[in-house]
Amino acid sequence: MELTHLWGILFISLHAMVPITLAAIGETIEESAGLFNIGLEGILLFGALAGALGAQASGSALVGLLTGMGVGALIGLVFGTISTSLRGSQLISGVGINLLALGFVALMLSVMGAPGFHSVAREVQVPLIPLGVGNLSPLVPITVAIAIGVWWLLRRTQLGIWIRAVGENPAAADVAGIRVNRVRLGAAVAAGVLAGLAGAYLSIDWFGAVTKEITAGRGFIALAIVVFSGLNPLLALLGGFIFGFFDGLATWVATYPGIKDIIPWQFVAMMPYVVTLAVVAGMIGRVRFPSALGVPYLRE
Amino acid sequence: MKTRSDSGPVLDKGDVLLEARGLSKGFPGVWEHLILDQLDFDVRSGEVHTLLGENGAGKTVIANILSGYYEKTEGEIRVKGKLVHFRSPREGLAHGIAMVHQELMLVPAFTVAENIMVGLDAPLFSYGIAGVEKRIQRLVERYGLQVDPKARVEDLSAGQQQRVEILKVLFHEPEVLLLDEPTSLLTPSEADQLFVVLRAMADDGKGIVFISHKMREVFAVSDRVTVLKLGKTQGTCQIAETNEDELTRRTFGETVPDYMERPEVAHEELALNTIEMVPSGLEKKPNSQGISLKIRCGEIMGLAGVSGNGQTELIEAVTGLVPPASGEVWILNADMTGRTPKEFIERGVAHIPERRREIGIVEQMYVAENVVLKDYRKTPFSKNTVLRHQQISSHAEKIVEKFNALVPDLWQTECRILSGGNIQRLILGRETWRKPPVIIASHPTEGLDAKAIRHTWELFLALRAEGSAVLLVSEDLDEIMSLSDRIAVMFEGKIMGIVDGKGADREILGHWMAGGTASAA
Repeated sequence: MELTHLWGILFISLHAMVPITLAAIGETIEESAGLFNIGLEGILLFGALAGALGAQASGSALVGLLTGMGVGALIGLVFGTISTSLRGSQLISGVGINLLALGFVALMLSVMGAPGFHSVAREVQVPLIPLGVGNLSPLVPITVAIAIGVWWLLRRTQLGIWIRAVGENPAAADVAGIRVNRVRLGAAVAAGVLAGLAGAYLSIDWFGAVTKEITAGRGFIALAIVVFSGLNPLLALLGGFIFGFFDGLATWVATYPGIKDIIPWQFVAMMPYVVTLAVVAGMIGRVRFPSALGVPYLRE
Repeated sequence: MKTRSDSGPVLDKGDVLLEARGLSKGFPGVWEHLILDQLDFDVRSGEVHTLLGENGAGKTVIANILSGYYEKTEGEIRVKGKLVHFRSPREGLAHGIAMVHQELMLVPAFTVAENIMVGLDAPLFSYGIAGVEKRIQRLVERYGLQVDPKARVEDLSAGQQQRVEILKVLFHEPEVLLLDEPTSLLTPSEADQLFVVLRAMADDGKGIVFISHKMREVFAVSDRVTVLKLGKTQGTCQIAETNEDELTRRTFGETVPDYMERPEVAHEELALNTIEMVPSGLEKKPNSQGISLKIRCGEIMGLAGVSGNGQTELIEAVTGLVPPASGEVWILNADMTGRTPKEFIERGVAHIPERRREIGIVEQMYVAENVVLKDYRKTPFSKNTVLRHQQISSHAEKIVEKFNALVPDLWQTECRILSGGNIQRLILGRETWRKPPVIIASHPTEGLDAKAIRHTWELFLALRAEGSAVLLVSEDLDEIMSLSDRIAVMFEGKIMGIVDGKGADREILGHWMAGGTASAA
C-alpha cells in the first residue's frame, strides 16, 4: 500500500469523525445535566435538510451551517421543555423526534423534486482547506476545538459544576439556589445546536447532498460513543475517530480496485456498527453516569 | 452570595444574635393545633442553645422559619436587634443565619470542595477550586472538622458527610448555625466529635442552635435548653440549673397519660413468638443477643425505644421481609423462620410500616389497587386470575369510608398525591379489615390528627378484644403507655426489660431507653 492510501484513509476517517463526535459531545453536555436524548438521529437528519436549504437560499455555506444549528437548537428547546417543565418521558420524546425527522425529511425531499435525493451545488458547500496531501474540512479542527472546549467547560468551570450537580443530585442543586430546569433546558439546546451542526456538515460539507438515509444511524453511534466516553468529551473525540476510521476504511475498501473484488463491500460496511456493538458491550457497567439521568426533577 | 473574610466578624460573647418573639405558624385545617404557638426564643453569641422536644413538637419548623425556608404566620424575628423578614434561605444566609438540614444534601460523585462550589455565587466560567480547598482546610483546622477537601463524598462515612454539610454553611461565615437533629445519622462517638466541633464554633463567638430529642446529647453539649411540646415552649433554662428528670417531665408531660381501660382477654395461645432470634443487621453489633419476645393472642405489646436501636430490624424479621440471622420466628404455632413475606401475610401477619410511602403503598398505583394490594389474588377480588373491578371498587369504597380517608377517586387518584395521613388511613384499613391474628404496627399514628389517633387506638383495642395480637412500635411514649398491655424497651438491639402497661413507671422506661439497667420495683 502506498503512502497516499494512508493519507486517504486518514482524511476519510477525520471527516467521518466529525458528525458523530459533534453529536456525542452535545449529548455529553445534556446527559451531564441529567437529560437523555435518544433523538440525536432525528436532529442530525433535520440539520442535514435545514443546512442544505439554508445554504441554497442564501448562497452561503456559513448560513447553511447556522441554519442547521438553529433548527437543532429549536428541537433541543422542544425536547428540553418536554423533559423539564412538562415532565414528559424523555425516551418517548426522543423516539418522537426520530420518527418525525424520518417522515418529514422524506416528504420534503419528494416535494423538492427527486424523491429521496437532493444534491447541493458545489458553490454553496463548505470550502475545504487544501493541504499538500489532500483537502480537509474546516469542521475537523473545529470539532477538535469543541471537544477540548466542552471538556474544559464541564470539568473546569463553575458552570460545569452546576451542570453536573443538576445531573447528579437535582434536589441538592435546588437547595443551593440553582435553577435546575433552566440549566437542563440550556443543556438540551446546546446539544441540539451541536447535533444540528453535525447534520448540516453531512449535507453541505461531507456528502454534498441530502438523502433520506443520510444519517445512516450516526446518531445512534454517537449515543454509543457517549457510553464509551463516560461523559468525557476528549474520550468522545477519540471514540469518534475510532468509529470514523472504520467508516473510512469501509469506504476505502469498497472503492479500491483489487480489494473490493476480494472482500464483499457489505461486510466492510458492517464494520463500524459491529465495532460499536463490541465497544459498548465491553464498556457497559464500567462507566458511571449521573444518578439523576433521565429522571425529571420535581420539587417536593 | 458573597462570603465574608476568614477572620469573621468580631462578636462579643453573650450578645443576642437572633431573637424571635411571639412566633406562630399554622397550617389551617391540616392540623388540630398550631405548629408553633406564640414562641419566644433567642440565641446568643458563644452559646449552644438546644431545642428539645418529641417528634412533631415543632423543632424543625422553628429552625426552618428562622433560616428563611418557611414563612412565619405571626411574630417577629430580629437579627442583632434589627427587625428582619426572610423570604428565602439566601436572605437568611446574607444575615448570617445558616441551617444544616437533617437529611444530607450532597452530590455523592463530587469531592468535598466541588460540593461546596455548587452553592457558590461565582462567575460562570471561573473555577476557584484551589481557593475553595484552601479555605476548607483553614475551616477544618479552625474547628477540628477533619475532612479532606479532595475526598469524594461517597467514600466518606455518614459522620464525615455530616461535617461536609456543616462546612457548606460555615463557608458563608454564618453567625448563627441551626442544626436540625444532626446526630440522627451518627454513631455515638461521631456525635461526641460533632459536639467538640459545636463547642469550638461557639467559643469562636457563633451562636449554635442544636435540635435534638435525645436527653444524653442535651447534657453533653448545651449551655441553655428550651423545651418544646406541641408547638408551645415549656420554658428555657440554663443547663446547669436543671436535671434529666425535670427535663424529661417537661418534654414528655407532667402527668402519666391515661392507661386506656379494657376488659381482660384470657388467651393463652402465643400469636407471635421469637426464640433467641437475632434480626439480620444486628448480629454484627457488639454483644448482640437473641430476642425472645412472646405476644399472646389478644395482647398489645408496646415496643418503646429511641429509633435506630434495632426496631426496624426486628420488624423486618417478624414480618418476613428479611430472614433473621439466627434464632426462630413462630406465628400461631408454626415455625415461620426463613419463610417469604407472602407466607407471613397468608399466615395472618399484618404490617403497618413506618416508611409508609416507600413500602406501605405503591405510590404510582390507584387508591383501589392499593387497597387490595395484599388480597387481589383472593376471592372475591379476582377469579381465574382476572381482577374483578366491581368487587374491588365496593371493597375499597367501604375501607375509604370506614377510615375517613380523603380520596378524590378510587380509580383516578394515584396514591402519591395523597397526604401522609390519608395514606396511613388506607394502610390501616387494608391491614386490619380481615382482623388478622398478628399486627405489626410501626408509628401507626404519626401524622394523624387527634381524632384519627383516637380512632386508631380504639381500633387496636377492638381488634385486641377479638383476639388479635399487636406489636406496637412507637417513639411516642404516651401512645405506648396508653395502649399496651405490656411494654418492652429496646436499646442497641437488646430488650432491656418488659413491664406491665398498667401503672408502668415512666422513669424506668426512660432509663431503659437510655441503656440503663435498673430493674422495675
